[in-house]
Amino acid sequence: MNNESIFKTFGVATGVCVVCAIIVSFSSVALKGLQDQNKLLDKQVNVLKAAGLVPTDGKATKAEVAEKFKTAEIVVVDLATGAVVADADPNKVESDKTNVVALTPEQDVAKIKTAPKQAVVYRFNDETGALKTLVLPISGTGLWSRMNGFLSLNADLTTVAGLVFYEHGETPGLGGEISNPKWTAKWNGKTAVDETGAPVVKVVKGTATDAATEVDGISGATLTCNGVNGTIDFWLGPNGYGPYLKTLRGDAPATEAEAPAEASEASEN
Amino acid sequence: MNSAVKENIVQPLFKNNPVFVQLLGICSALAVTTNLNNAFTMTLAVVFVTAFSNVGVSLIRKIIPGSIRMIVEMAIIATLVILVDQILKAFSYNLSKQLSVYVGLIITNCIVMGRAEAFAIKNGPTVSLLDGIGNGLGYGVVLMIVAFFRELFGFGTLFGFTVLKTVNNGGWYVPNGLMVLAPAAFFLIGGIIWVLKTYGKGMQDDE
Amino acid sequence: MKFVRKALDATEKRFFAPGKPFAFLYPLYDAADTFFFTPNAKTSGTCAVRDCVDFKRMMITVVLALLPCALTGMYNVGLQANRLMEAGATAPTDWHGAILNWINGFYPAIFEPTSVVGCFLYGLVYFLPIYIVTMIVGLGWEILFAAINKHEVNEGFFVTGFLFPLIVPATIPLWQVALAISFGVVIGKEIFGGTGRNFMNPALVARAFLFFAYAGQISGDQVWTAVDGVSKATPLSYASQGVDALTNAGYTQASAFFGTIPGSLGETSTLACLIGAAILLLTGVASWRIMASMFVGGMGLAAIFAGCPSITEAFPAATLGPVWHFVLGGFAFGMVFMATDPVTAAATKVGQYIYGFLMGALVIVVRAMNPAYPEGVMLVILFGNCVAPLIDYTVVNANIRRRVKRLEAR
Repeated sequence: MNNESIFKTFGVATGVCVVCAIIVSFSSVALKGLQDQNKLLDKQVNVLKAAGLVPTDGKATKAEVAEKFKTAEIVVVDLATGAVVADADPNKVESDKTNVVALTPEQDVAKIKTAPKQAVVYRFNDETGALKTLVLPISGTGLWSRMNGFLSLNADLTTVAGLVFYEHGETPGLGGEISNPKWTAKWNGKTAVDETGAPVVKVVKGTATDAATEVDGISGATLTCNGVNGTIDFWLGPNGYGPYLKTLRGDAPATEAEAPAEASEASEN
Repeated sequence: MNSAVKENIVQPLFKNNPVFVQLLGICSALAVTTNLNNAFTMTLAVVFVTAFSNVGVSLIRKIIPGSIRMIVEMAIIATLVILVDQILKAFSYNLSKQLSVYVGLIITNCIVMGRAEAFAIKNGPTVSLLDGIGNGLGYGVVLMIVAFFRELFGFGTLFGFTVLKTVNNGGWYVPNGLMVLAPAAFFLIGGIIWVLKTYGKGMQDDE
Repeated sequence: MKFVRKALDATEKRFFAPGKPFAFLYPLYDAADTFFFTPNAKTSGTCAVRDCVDFKRMMITVVLALLPCALTGMYNVGLQANRLMEAGATAPTDWHGAILNWINGFYPAIFEPTSVVGCFLYGLVYFLPIYIVTMIVGLGWEILFAAINKHEVNEGFFVTGFLFPLIVPATIPLWQVALAISFGVVIGKEIFGGTGRNFMNPALVARAFLFFAYAGQISGDQVWTAVDGVSKATPLSYASQGVDALTNAGYTQASAFFGTIPGSLGETSTLACLIGAAILLLTGVASWRIMASMFVGGMGLAAIFAGCPSITEAFPAATLGPVWHFVLGGFAFGMVFMATDPVTAAATKVGQYIYGFLMGALVIVVRAMNPAYPEGVMLVILFGNCVAPLIDYTVVNANIRRRVKRLEAR
């Protein structure tokens, strides 16, 4: 039997291609649901970690995550005005290619070149509907590459409730320690912004001297820490969530339900 | 049959190990051996791909025209790799995130193509399956040995469980950062080859 | 001397001769023997040149040239620590501190920044343990490999063993010293066949091992002063923010030249390195071509960088200029002692110019442009070691081609 005839060559090639294509497309279609679910779950776990609702170093079950994430109110925010965009679809905002604004070098302290116009934030409310924890997605450039994470603020919108970096390419053992729960735990309770709303919390070299606003540096990772500082500065600043936080603080008349709760929270602090 | 099992599975584990002796598949051995979990998943993935690509190639070995032989082998391997990638993403999302592109890069692992080309194309499906499993495992053994040292000394853990408590977590062990970097795998593989060539029975070059 | 000869011969017969219990340790005996006496092995051919400057003398010259660096380095360790303590830092509380306090019992000047001897003793308390560990561990490997490979123990290690303690911070933990020198000797030298066959400088390999393995402690963004609880930036990490940051932090070109700034043990003083360079050049041990071309390459590029506004704007460290680059960090030390290592450097004359020039320029590029590595000398010289054979190969081949052409033209 001659294997080298043109007919045979095309025949085998086509056969192999068809069989392979069937296997690949079948697996892709059949598993798509599970994969998307995983992706979503992964994101939800990180939001919950930042909010302090699941332990940052342990693992949470799927049911637990789904249950806890139900309490989250997903809000789309216009960064420039600080207003809530009621009619936007949170699932589409992040993949929308027109949703970017270029940053000037002066604005770009996080070294990210472009920022989204609208961002998705997560609110965790108590029974009365008053804000308990606000989770803000952040990203910035560290020593080597982009670091993505979530920063969450307490109801007073001043102190840090949690910080999580879920994606980064920093040197393991040095800059990579930014994802060590032991280090991120040091952020909890720090004063993130001052009375005027300007970001004040920062990582310092060595040991923190001001317990309210300074976080111990990671030794041997000065440049990663600078990146973290830039990231926090940017996202809490006027080009990040600054305007939104301002609205939230001053919006007592706007959203009726929140007004009394926030006032009482503020007096506690 | 018994001797075939022995020859095809046990030989590549040690005496004719694809990494140590044939020096194949080094590149991926650098990338996925920073911890045992990754190495173990990678081992399973490679065993799966080598075994079934061998079977696939072996089944159609008599009808593959010589002119497109390599391309057909490649198509079979690529399909299996995509399959593994999809399954990992669906059932073990965290691991697939950590292994990232390296699962896809099994395609470029010379061991897979090498076995298809050197063995499966000439032998029946059963022995080819065994050969594929053997070589996949031989590769896996190396991954696991290298990952054992890298994870233990680089992070102080084994399979993610703390063995040596590191300074950053309040312990005493100062992790060795070199172990976490890719060159450490070179040093380790080189060191193991050195030991095997010096003391391993029947592994010396001059035999 | 006769007594020594007799004693040596007796031990050889008793323990180390073939068939005796310690025959496998013959290299150890041989090392002791040749330390005291010139080996009486003779060339078997008819033609031989005998030169008094054998391998051993050459190595001793290098050790001698390193002495000024070691002495000023030790003095500086004490000086830095004592100055900081005067400013309020606490004395070390580890075992170093215990020894210092014990000495303080009968020699209080050890805590005096103005006392030269005191500062020197302070430094000695830090230097000596590092040196001893380096020697014991390094020689241990050396003897082990000599015994296995059946060749004699080489004096080359005396230089490596002296260089290494000088390029580490004084406060380095001793277990790290042991680990690093093991790596340097085994991976950097022995697996390639021992002294003379290594393609990289073993002391630098050891230092690079520390740099990558324990970067948290060694990355060069922390200063290692021998007191407790003080951590501040090194001069070079100030330098990476520009020349103003450096002068604002209180560093002057003079202090950097004389070596009274924080840094690794033996490489802070440019003056001491220059004295060493003079010794090496006068005795003809080191290649002046490498030193000169590295100096020209480095300083030339530094001057170009400093004079080019578009570069100084983008990279603040480029504002430093040639003088600062020369007196700061390990440039002078690397140029004099590391780059000129005859085993790992380029061997052809033209090659040596290229080799030195390339490394000098590269040091400035790394220092000025890479924010992660404020100091580039170590990695650049290792890189130079790697390309040296390629440079030589190119030079030799170019020479061959030229001569072939000349022959054909005839």
